[in-house]
Parts: sequence; structure tokens; C-alpha cells
Amino acid sequence: MFLLVILFGIYPIIKSIQMSFTASGTSLSSKPEYIFFSNYVSIFKDPYFLDSLRITLLFTIFSVPLNIMVAFLLALILGSPILKKGSVFFKLSVFLPVVVPSMAAAVVWKWLYNVNFGPISAICNYLGLPEFSGLANVHTVLPSLGAVELWKHVGLYTVIFVTNLQLIDKEMYEAAFLEGANYLQRTLLITIPELSPAFKLNIVYATIQFLKTFTVSLVMTQGGPNFASNFVSYYAYSKFKLANYGEATAMGTVLFVLVILISLSAKKILSMERSTRGTI
Amino acid sequence: MKRTNPSVIILMYFLACLISLSMLFPILWMISSSLKPTKDIFANTLRVIPKDVTLHAYRTLRTLAGIPFEKYLFNSLYIVCFSVILTVAITSLAAYAVNRHPRLPGFQLLEKLFLLSIMYPYMLLMIPIYLIMFRFGLLGTYSGIIIFLCLGPIQYYLFREFFAKVPQAVIDSASVDGASELNILLRIILPMAKPVFMTAILLTFILNWDNWFPVLIISTSMNTYTLPVALFNLDSQLEVNFPEIMALSTVVTAPIIVIFLLTQKKVIEGFAVGSVKG
Repeated sequence: MFLLVILFGIYPIIKSIQMSFTASGTSLSSKPEYIFFSNYVSIFKDPYFLDSLRITLLFTIFSVPLNIMVAFLLALILGSPILKKGSVFFKLSVFLPVVVPSMAAAVVWKWLYNVNFGPISAICNYLGLPEFSGLANVHTVLPSLGAVELWKHVGLYTVIFVTNLQLIDKEMYEAAFLEGANYLQRTLLITIPELSPAFKLNIVYATIQFLKTFTVSLVMTQGGPNFASNFVSYYAYSKFKLANYGEATAMGTVLFVLVILISLSAKKILSMERSTRGTI
Repeated sequence: MKRTNPSVIILMYFLACLISLSMLFPILWMISSSLKPTKDIFANTLRVIPKDVTLHAYRTLRTLAGIPFEKYLFNSLYIVCFSVILTVAITSLAAYAVNRHPRLPGFQLLEKLFLLSIMYPYMLLMIPIYLIMFRFGLLGTYSGIIIFLCLGPIQYYLFREFFAKVPQAVIDSASVDGASELNILLRIILPMAKPVFMTAILLTFILNWDNWFPVLIISTSMNTYTLPVALFNLDSQLEVNFPEIMALSTVVTAPIIVIFLLTQKKVIEGFAVGSVKG
């Protein structure tokens, strides 16, 4: 286990950071030529890379709150005692996409979005909505991919919420109900504060997940159209394909640092919120 | 405590049904498209229950890119089964060791490093992995793929969570009675851990069945491709055979759906616990 973690977890990270300081042509040879920060300088001069950073961050900033909010609402609906019959079925159908193989999911969604005969554009036509351009349009490609990622991952966040919902003491609701609090007040004042560990966990988890978005852009769009879905991980992969190992690993390192910084600061901010509320 | 308004009940059921339907639609559409004759796909894309059912698309799957279907199936099963056995064995032992002697030097560090390797963009891990596999002569071999798949953080945390709950008194009393470390593990811990082993096996199966990227990178030829990689390959060809793609997607998805429906509670729990700790 030690050996495995070190061999396939830690050593590669160190190795790839080391590779990011070498000239691409010599990266794989036994005597790599060190060029220090040249790779970093060149990627930060590359407008496509800066754009891919912007795309990745934008995608994450929109996707994380959306996923968490939808998951929370789903958890409220699916975890509600009103749905006595069929609650297992509802829970299963929300979780099913999480276990569906990601490759099959990406391929099927690519065809769902097909402009000519995909069902989504058919629904738009049927309802008389403007032509749906899906993955083919620079402006709609990111929301389209966001929808796929929502479908694929929201079940996991929902289940984490539902599990935590069941842990909340029922007497708190009854007491609040007797004091005349309505549903909205009970949700805002009891459910959300009680679920704050689950919120924290889901937010950190989702942030890491979305910063690393890769499969959908490789399978569904190849970074296109016109580089509109060129996520950092995909751009680095395409550099890797072109044997630009130095630049590819430099991009990887930048993304890695970003993931660590953002998830650590998210943890910090969220735990600070919690402690201030504790003192009031 | 209170009576719920019937209209609220109806609204809730309506919402829940709508949500379920939209979550299930892509999967239903995939299955139905794989069964439709080509002409119907373009005419009635929204019809989920096909008018005419044909298995033609499945017949075309017999050979993919010149390699018989059985070969891909064999690769998938071979790689997944061996990696499941190894992953479960390795992660459970590691979790047990860390739990039993948390203060041994390096164990805390190991856990931190483990977290770090989750955060690293997975696809970029592949460049150095490629290099390591090359050095060890594992490129293009089953062993190379299987060894890499054994790094299972979710499974590790699942076991960690379970062992943390085993009362220390149980272990202490056994060691007072003179049981050796191995005896404690085999006679006491293992029988208790049966359910968590089951969950870990299921999770690993589901995760590794899907894990196509390492297979793609470590393979040097199509001889070690698994079914999801075959699907990727089929989908990126220029000449598109849509029903065939849907049929292969269905074949890739079906085993997972069956496993999930049979063992739903364990799988959902496993995912939730494994990622909560991670």
C-alpha cells in the first residue's frame, strides 16, 4: 500500500512537477534538460491557456452553487415524509446517473444534444422554442456541459444531504411548529444550519470535481467549438498528445495548485462561518 | 403532528415523478435507440417505446475495429476482477494498519498524501505513470493496468470508517488472551467486517469497470482495451453508426445498472461514506 501510494500517487506528482521544469524534447529522456520556469512563462503568455483557466474557473463558479442548490432541493423533496410510497424509486432514479459509466454517459449525452435528430432539439421544436444549438454554439456549449455534469453528479450530493437530514432531531421541528413557525422558517432556521457540515463537505467535494472536468470535454466537444470548452485539463491533455510534455505538466501543476488553494480556502471560510455562529 | 394538505401531497408526487423521469430519460433513450431500426431514429427520436424492435445493432457489435467482442468483454472482466481482489485486499489492510497503530511514523503522512493524490488532476497523473510503466516494462500489459487501478481512496476511507467504529475493548481483550495480531485480524475483525467488504467489492467493481482513461494510456494496442475504451474508440470514428454506438453504450451500462438495482442500499451507502471521509 505504501509502495503503491508512493509509486502511483506521490512519485508521479513530484515527477510531473519536475517535468514541468524541463524542455519538452528531453522530458522523457534519462538526462532531461532543465529550463526552469520557461514552460510557465510560455503557458502564461499563451492566450489559449489563459482562456482555458477562465473557462475552468467560470464553469466551476457556476456549477458548484447550482449543483449544491439543486441537490439540497432534491433532498428536501425526496427526503420529505410526505412521499411515503415510491421514495425508494425516486432515490434510486436520482442516484442512478452516479453509477452509470462516465464514458457511456458522455457518449449518450453527446447524441441527446445532436442538433439534427437529438431529442432535446426535438422538444424545443415541438414547444416552438428557438432552435437549440447545444454543443455547436460557443455560447451554449458550457451550460450544456454543465447540465450533463449536474445530471451525473447531483445524485451523490443529494444522497449526502438526505443522509444528514435523517439525523436531525425531529423534536426541533415539532417545537418550532408549535411555536407557529411555517415551513420556510423551519427550513431556513433549522434544516440549513443543521446541515452545514453536509454543505461544507459537498461544496469542497464539488469544487474539486468541477475544477478537474475532463471526460465531457474530451468525448463531447474536444474543447470546441472554437476553444469554448477548452478546460485546463483538456488543454493540457492535448499538449500531451502533441508531445509538449513540459508545457502539459506545467499546466497540470498550475491546476493542482489551484485545486489545493481553492479547496483549502473553501474549507477555511466555511469553518470560520461555523465558528462565528457558535459564539453568537 | 399535523395534517398535510392533499394538494401539497399531489404536488410533491408530481415533482418527484418529473425529477425521476428527467434523470432516467437519457438511459431509457439510449436503450430504446439501440433497439430501433435506423429509419425510425431520425423520424421519431422522442418515441421511447420503439414501434419496431430490431437487434440488428447488437449483431454489428460482434466485431469492433476488427477485434471480436468477446476479447473486449474478457479484458473488462479480467482487469476488473483482478483489480477488485487486489484493491480490496490492499486498502483494507492499509486501513486496518493505520487504525491499529495510528502513531506509527509515516501513517499520518500517508493519509495526507493520499488526499493530495485525489486532488491532483487525474489525467495529468498519466504522463508520469506512462513513464513509470515504461521503465518497469508494464506498458501495454494487463498487470500495468491492474496495478494502477488498485489505488482506491474511496475504498480506503470506507474501511477506515468501519475500523474506527470497532470497539477497542474487543481487540484489547483478545490480545490479553494471548491472540496474535494475525489471529485477531482473521478470527475477530474479518467476520465482523463482512458487510463492509461486500460494499467495497461492489464499489470497486463499479468504479473500475468505468475507469477507461488509464486503460487508454497504458495500452499500447487494442488488445488490452476494455468495453468503455472500445466505446470511446467507436464514438470517435469518422463514420458514425448511431444504433451501434447506442447498443455498445447499453452493453457497457447494463451490468452496472443490474448490480446497482440488486444492491442499491449498499452501493449508495458506500459512495456516501467513502466520499464523506475523503
